[in-house]
Amino acid sequence: MTAFDASVEMRPKLVGQRIKRTEDPRLLTGSGRYVDDMNPQGVLHVALLRSDQPHARIRSIDVGEAFAVPGVVAIFDAGDIAGDFKPAIPTSRMKGYYATPFRPLAEGKVRYVGEPVVAVVAESRYAAEDALELISIDYEPLPVAVSKDEAAVDGAPLLHEEAGTNVIISRTFARGDVDAVIAAAPVVVKGRFRMTRKTPMPMETRSYLAEWDRRRQALTLHSSTNIPGIICDVLGTCLDLPGNRIRVVAPDVGGSFGGKGSLNHEEMLVCVLARKLERPVKFVADRMEDLTAMSQAFDETIEAELAVDADGHLLGLKADVIGDIGAYSIYPWTGALEPVQVVSFLPGPYRMEHYRGRVRGVLTPKPPTGPYRGVGRPSSTFAMERLMDMAARKLGMDPAEIRRRNLVTAEEFPYRTGSGIIWDRSAFQECLQGVCDLVDYPALVRQRDAARAEGRWVGIGFASYAELTGIGSRIAVAPGMPINTGTETASIRIDATGAVTAAFGISSHGQGLETTLAQVVADELGCRMEDIEIQHGDSALVPMGTGTYASRSAVLGGGAATKTARVVKTKVLKAAAFLMDVPAEDLEAEGGVIRARSSNATMTFREVAHAVYAQMGRIPHEQREDLVGSESYDPYLGTACASTHLAMVEIDPATFAVTVTRFAVAEDCGRIINPLIVDGQVHGAVAQGIGAALLEEVVHDDGGQLLTASLADYLVPIASTMPQIEILHVEAELPNNIGGFRGMGEGGTIGAPAAIANAVSDALAPLGIEVDTLPVAPDRLFRLVQAARASASG
Amino acid sequence: MKPARFDYVRAESIAHAVEALAGAGGDGKVLAGGQSLMPMMNFRLVKPSVLVDINRIPDLDRITLEAGTLRLGALVRHRMTAEDVLVARHIPVLHAAMKHVAHLTVRNRGTFCGSVCHADPAAEMPMMTLLLDGTIHIASPRGTRTMPARDFLIGSLATALEPDEMVTAVDLAIPADGTGWAFEEFSRRHGDYALAAVAVLMERRDGRARNVRIAMMGIADTALRLSDVEAALEGREGTAEAFDEVVARLKASLAPNSDLNASADYRRHLAGALARRALADAWDRAREAHMEPA
Repeated sequence: MTAFDASVEMRPKLVGQRIKRTEDPRLLTGSGRYVDDMNPQGVLHVALLRSDQPHARIRSIDVGEAFAVPGVVAIFDAGDIAGDFKPAIPTSRMKGYYATPFRPLAEGKVRYVGEPVVAVVAESRYAAEDALELISIDYEPLPVAVSKDEAAVDGAPLLHEEAGTNVIISRTFARGDVDAVIAAAPVVVKGRFRMTRKTPMPMETRSYLAEWDRRRQALTLHSSTNIPGIICDVLGTCLDLPGNRIRVVAPDVGGSFGGKGSLNHEEMLVCVLARKLERPVKFVADRMEDLTAMSQAFDETIEAELAVDADGHLLGLKADVIGDIGAYSIYPWTGALEPVQVVSFLPGPYRMEHYRGRVRGVLTPKPPTGPYRGVGRPSSTFAMERLMDMAARKLGMDPAEIRRRNLVTAEEFPYRTGSGIIWDRSAFQECLQGVCDLVDYPALVRQRDAARAEGRWVGIGFASYAELTGIGSRIAVAPGMPINTGTETASIRIDATGAVTAAFGISSHGQGLETTLAQVVADELGCRMEDIEIQHGDSALVPMGTGTYASRSAVLGGGAATKTARVVKTKVLKAAAFLMDVPAEDLEAEGGVIRARSSNATMTFREVAHAVYAQMGRIPHEQREDLVGSESYDPYLGTACASTHLAMVEIDPATFAVTVTRFAVAEDCGRIINPLIVDGQVHGAVAQGIGAALLEEVVHDDGGQLLTASLADYLVPIASTMPQIEILHVEAELPNNIGGFRGMGEGGTIGAPAAIANAVSDALAPLGIEVDTLPVAPDRLFRLVQAARASASG
Repeated sequence: MKPARFDYVRAESIAHAVEALAGAGGDGKVLAGGQSLMPMMNFRLVKPSVLVDINRIPDLDRITLEAGTLRLGALVRHRMTAEDVLVARHIPVLHAAMKHVAHLTVRNRGTFCGSVCHADPAAEMPMMTLLLDGTIHIASPRGTRTMPARDFLIGSLATALEPDEMVTAVDLAIPADGTGWAFEEFSRRHGDYALAAVAVLMERRDGRARNVRIAMMGIADTALRLSDVEAALEGREGTAEAFDEVVARLKASLAPNSDLNASADYRRHLAGALARRALADAWDRAREAHMEPA
């Protein structure tokens, strides 16, 4: 490390401080600006007639008197816009994969209830909805295989005939000889685990506004997306527009949780229509539309078998996973994103030689599945952590002990799992120990045993997991996907007033990145945090930008910020050195003031910047440089983020309601930029995980109709559902990336469902019940207990 | 989710309101709290031609003590009922029930009378009105009339109200001094529509349960008074055996539906479990009263 860097290391840092989010004053006082707040002159509103059929041919569409409704401007079906775009193709290099074309409106046939078929464009959404009531679609119903098991068999009705099959994804990960190991193992446990379908449910629904600039022949899309760069690139291709004539801006975005992280039908549609009509066109989904047609999550069945030796050491695991990917392979991640990650992460944070995970992704007449906070790992962790507890129970071993014996230890890193994931050094063991210490585990066990002696149903559950975050160019975020998710660019500019503008390709939608990246930039540059504006969520800001997803933005954005800030700082100090007539090595910067170590001379950033830009001839031209920089960062591999969750629950034997009485998290996310924000991310993600464990379930009936189309039926956690969440931050060894950060925004959804499933199983251990399906709704528990009692007495 | 076109009338008086309803050709709707009506309009499940807003009509937002009854006006919000001293003092079972009613924002706007008129089988107000032998006050251009709640509530989302009528108040009978009470409800999350709920009133004279009243909801098309079960307990000692027997009879008499949140078997189990708790609690709360000489 150079002397120059050492001076940076010496002074108080913003990184590591509990700084309140700079976003919050505007968001909490109603000064935020979301897509729906934007109403350019002449804006038109879209309402969609959506399919009420799971699988049907569109025979004809009758618009009746719809054009006569006052305010209606135009009505479109797929045929009306056929020449105006090319479909988006979610390609992949996976063998045997079929990329389903993705269009704004259903063409020829519909493939799920809720798929957009007809678009009404009107002066108001009210008028557009009035017109919808007058339009009728004549469908010829086609045979359906609604469940993934039915859809996967040969001869099942095909959703996409061109694919020749519904099973468009099929992969196997294997190491060693798992069959032999299972055959010879002293203890084998198995189960059929099901994580039911969920919806991401951001508070702001999906919202899109497209504006066509007739003068420039250019398109601007304001979108509630978290991947503006990816959306810009794909729409540029679909609409045949070069990158300088299409721009995608994500203004304030009210959450995504994955639901706004893929291309949407409606997002393409407003662009096509705005160009066609040469007027601004807006679509804002209502809650029912988001519940019906936003990308959904999980929906896998995992049949898994785990072999352990008599001391509880893991020997081998085999799993057969079938994922219900819905009617389309989503752009750009493909339908492989979720189910394939289940088999790649199933071996978990454990030492285990033999593994075989086979996965199939099956098209079904339901909304496509896509990213959802945690991707794949909530399901895989649920299955694996259940198996760990089942094995411990069979061995009569404490669940903490079996984990301690198998979690990869410090000296074993880097560790390659049976599926090929490489874990770098992270606090696997320390998190387990940390959470046990945090809650005083032995005392908790005594508490549970005392309650159990009174006949109460009280249980404790662990979930240990690791996830891969901050992934660079060596690993595709989704298998075989042709876009670059491994690079991130920052661009920093100091203007004549000394103000700092730092622009990124990431797209914060609740993570507080405007705060954390400003902390990183201020530390590196030596300026004041309040002098920095962080810009993000705009495809035009930097040449290479995709967005915020996959727990990447702190690692990649933070790395790019650091590299760029160093370049700009060198230029600032070089100018200051000339102006102050001291060597640059003699200067240090802090809080916006540049100081010479050898004298009392100081200059502010503002003074230097003014001299550089505004004072003619002050610095000779050949020595003068604009105070700008733009660097990209690629961490190449990824880094592990590890955690152990602990849940304690009590079940009411009269109502079968599960109450979470204690919840604790020990996690290692490397160097913490802002503990306040990290705590908030853990709280939010654990809440979401508790929802997945106890409440949330998207239900389609046997006819493919959605039964959970309102928030009275799709239950999300509310304040009264939530326990106090205790958090312990463990910092073992910093990962080998710039900044030493690990991604941590998703983890809560990964650990919480498994921990609660284990706690519920522990509470019902006297009845021999093993939870294998989430959520553990009261009715589901009632039936489990009835069955257990019947088999005990019969 | 935008409503179809409708006309809007801001009523200045009850007479004005019912006149506007009468002029609506049979499909006018009264807007009080709007907590059920507005979502239904947004889903276009109802398309009233005229919305008659009664929120500016004076004096409807009162809870008053009449002879032996509490009168709740048409603009009494759930929040008022929940916080009202007269309710807490005279009808503690209603005070207890209010803790389960909806979420904060709904409680601030939703009204007692509106909920009774909406007649949702999983809402607390119709059930409590039945339990408390409620009387519905009704106004129309033809004058006023009253009707017992049991005649008013005729089915799921169905009442005996005529298109040109509005409910101006509900009277609830104040239980006799020393009456034991209990309210038990279970929903997936606090404040949600109940999967099942039960409310019990009973007096205790000479060691026996008297004037037993049991109402339930979530187990049929409408909230119910369980008169058979009431009769089965009437005059008996409040022993565990008696309660078990009554609950067994109750469960046998139910034919609940299965839905997303609860199978019929679970719902029957739940109804029994809640009723068992409620009966014991009500008995324990009842203060022994001696027969007055006739």
